[in-house]
Amino acid sequence: MTSITGHPAGGEGIGYSFSQPTAAPVKQHGFYPYTDNGGSTLGITGSDFAILAGDTRSTSGYNINSRMVPKVFKIGGDDETGEGAQIVLSVVGFAADGNALKERLDAVVKMYKYQHGKPMSVSACAQRLSTILYGKRFFPYYVHAILAGLDEEGKGALYSYDPVGSYEREQCRAAGAAASLIMPFLDNQVNFKNQYIPGSGEGHALEAKKAEPLPQTHVEQLVRDAFTSAVERHIEVGDNLQMMIITREGIKEVFHPLKKD
Amino acid sequence: MDKLVAQYSRPQHQNESYSEQEQQDLTESLPPLSLKFSLPPVDNRASFLRAMTDDHSNPSCPIKLAHGTTTLAFRFQGGIIVCTDSRATAGNWIASQTVKKVIPVSRLSRGEDKPSNDPTPGLLGTMAGGAADCQYWLRYLSQQCTLHEIRHKRRITVAAASKILANLTYAYKGYGLSMGTMLCGVTPQEGPALYYIDSDGTRLPGNLFCVGSGQTFAYGVLDSNYRYDLSVEEALALGRRAILAAMHRDAYSGGFINLYHVKEEGWVHHGFDDMNPIFWKTKLEQGEFSNVTSEL
Amino acid sequence: MDHFPGTWGRPRNDVYGAYNPQYLQTTGPKTHTSSPAVTGTSVIGVKFNGGVVLATDNLASYGSLARFTDVKRLRVFGDKAVVGFGGDVSDMQYIDRLLESIDIRENYSSNGNMLNAKNLHTYLAKVFYKRRSEFNPLWNHVLVAGFDGEGKPFLSSADLLGTTFSAPHLATGFGAHLAVPILRRLFPEETPIEEISREQAVSALKDCLKVLFYRDARSLDKYSIAVITQDGIDLKEDEQIEGQSWAFAERIKGYGAQTN
Repeated sequence: MTSITGHPAGGEGIGYSFSQPTAAPVKQHGFYPYTDNGGSTLGITGSDFAILAGDTRSTSGYNINSRMVPKVFKIGGDDETGEGAQIVLSVVGFAADGNALKERLDAVVKMYKYQHGKPMSVSACAQRLSTILYGKRFFPYYVHAILAGLDEEGKGALYSYDPVGSYEREQCRAAGAAASLIMPFLDNQVNFKNQYIPGSGEGHALEAKKAEPLPQTHVEQLVRDAFTSAVERHIEVGDNLQMMIITREGIKEVFHPLKKD
Repeated sequence: MDKLVAQYSRPQHQNESYSEQEQQDLTESLPPLSLKFSLPPVDNRASFLRAMTDDHSNPSCPIKLAHGTTTLAFRFQGGIIVCTDSRATAGNWIASQTVKKVIPVSRLSRGEDKPSNDPTPGLLGTMAGGAADCQYWLRYLSQQCTLHEIRHKRRITVAAASKILANLTYAYKGYGLSMGTMLCGVTPQEGPALYYIDSDGTRLPGNLFCVGSGQTFAYGVLDSNYRYDLSVEEALALGRRAILAAMHRDAYSGGFINLYHVKEEGWVHHGFDDMNPIFWKTKLEQGEFSNVTSEL
Repeated sequence: MDHFPGTWGRPRNDVYGAYNPQYLQTTGPKTHTSSPAVTGTSVIGVKFNGGVVLATDNLASYGSLARFTDVKRLRVFGDKAVVGFGGDVSDMQYIDRLLESIDIRENYSSNGNMLNAKNLHTYLAKVFYKRRSEFNPLWNHVLVAGFDGEGKPFLSSADLLGTTFSAPHLATGFGAHLAVPILRRLFPEETPIEEISREQAVSALKDCLKVLFYRDARSLDKYSIAVITQDGIDLKEDEQIEGQSWAFAERIKGYGAQTN
């Protein structure tokens, strides 16, 4: 039974010879349908750009499956290479779920462009991704997704998700295995948490430093620093850093080597 | 028999592909808010879902959902005050400190919630429990409310809106949803109206509610200072103070204080403010929170 | 839903029953009933300049019993792709039928079978993922070898959960522990595959098979090996591991009653 709207779900009843069974029969298994493929992703936005990055290591347990499995994908491009895309998605967690999610969103964004004659806006895409994730509320995709692009005003936009689709627009977000290592660094370096203006007051009157959009080169360096640090302290992160930089000119993809131990 | 014949007369590979309907559903870009959910093909779905996601029974469960909160709303002579914290936790991990837990419901009140003095018409919903559950179902409710406006050429009452939501949560009872929400609005038919709806299917009208893991702390402050005839300023301060108490004592609450005032003409946003300076101000100027030392 | 503040929002035991961790178990007796019966062990593969080599041994085990000693676990698809199967043998045979019916369909199209190894891998990964989503997995871990759409050597893996990954050399099962380190030492991942010759790749795989036979208790010294190049597939299914030396076994101490 895949639907709970009250329609009969199976091919029982009238016996059409070629009626497709619309639902799988209920099975009882000790089968565990998830695995964790490790890795980490990170996104930061600025006033006219957004950067989404991820490492390229794929693990299962203590084994490294491969050193080159990208986690960041262009969404809604014209061809296989993703040329012409304006939105980028990163997925970390269970890689097969991540791939399925990416392909579904890609198909949806392409259908939108085909049906409406214009590319899907990031905010619309963000909302759609949320409903896709929530559609599997009772059998969740085991992924932490981050979506990035430029909003209607040309500002960097970044949306982060939990596995069942609650989402929020943010300045920066780290997800995956090393999220707990990277996120505090980002809080401090991007949102200036726990930084104060020197000499602005004494004791409790000390004024907190206000967050403001950072320049692109600075953000790129922050991303590289975050990952080189995470690699030092997390076994599931390493090999290569994949960075997608979204600006008005399009999406630039760059790779940097990380430590391979 | 026909099914058996069908199963073996088709080429093998057709058994492994998706039906046309399924393929269409997967790529549909239009009706996004639907009641079609894919379910795990196991006997006891709720038990499966719980095994995967209940971080309290099993702190190392694989899928950790954003949880935990303090929210409150109360009626008074000047309308309704709605106040929340902004923390989302996944297990012991603080997933976010900037969650917007007050969600505008109905089409007219969409848009960025910037502090402004112009009231925005519409209802407000609060979010406690599973963040995704609240976001999704309040959005679904928003859609239903907008349809109501179009069909009946007048805004939906809070009673009716809350009943739509309660009927839904009751229909999904036992599936494993987790939400505790308050719907607030002022309508010509009802005046200020406040309803509590949760994922058990409970729907209660009331004067004052606190919901979430920090509810007891908020109730403590609220109950001792609440009067129906509070002035607007007093009411706003009380809402803020009650949430502050919960943020201070409940580990799963914190971040920013999100404050709203619902009036006859609509709701007004009164800021999304960092709790830390407010806490110190409250302590140093009012002399409260004497359990904390102010020495540096 | 629990309303007690400490456990607020969580499922209540009296409504949902006690927390049941059964679904989380990946080992233990419960899983055993749904685990495969007759199984094949490792599959190993390496890319080289102009092609890919893939190898498996010819054993199908029944638990710890070496039950069938002449089971071919490499399957040729079209004229330039090979699939190597690890895991359940009945599921392997099912996928074999699946691929057969696709091959027949493709050959009825005006252009002949145009599916390359990359397309085949995508297809298999989707079948695996669909089946795992139905909780009715095909209990295999496969390697697909051949060429991609641009005619470059292709080697990729797919498993029962639908997880996919690709690398210059890959191994499933025990091979992931024993063969991959050998291959990574012989062909470091920085070296372009253009610098690896066919002979080097084949001899490396033979070495790996030998090491696996030494240490994997579910392996055999009879194996199949397929070399896929643009000229076609060179498949040998009745090979024997040569040059074995069990001298190392003398030095192994510390098992059972023999403690030093």
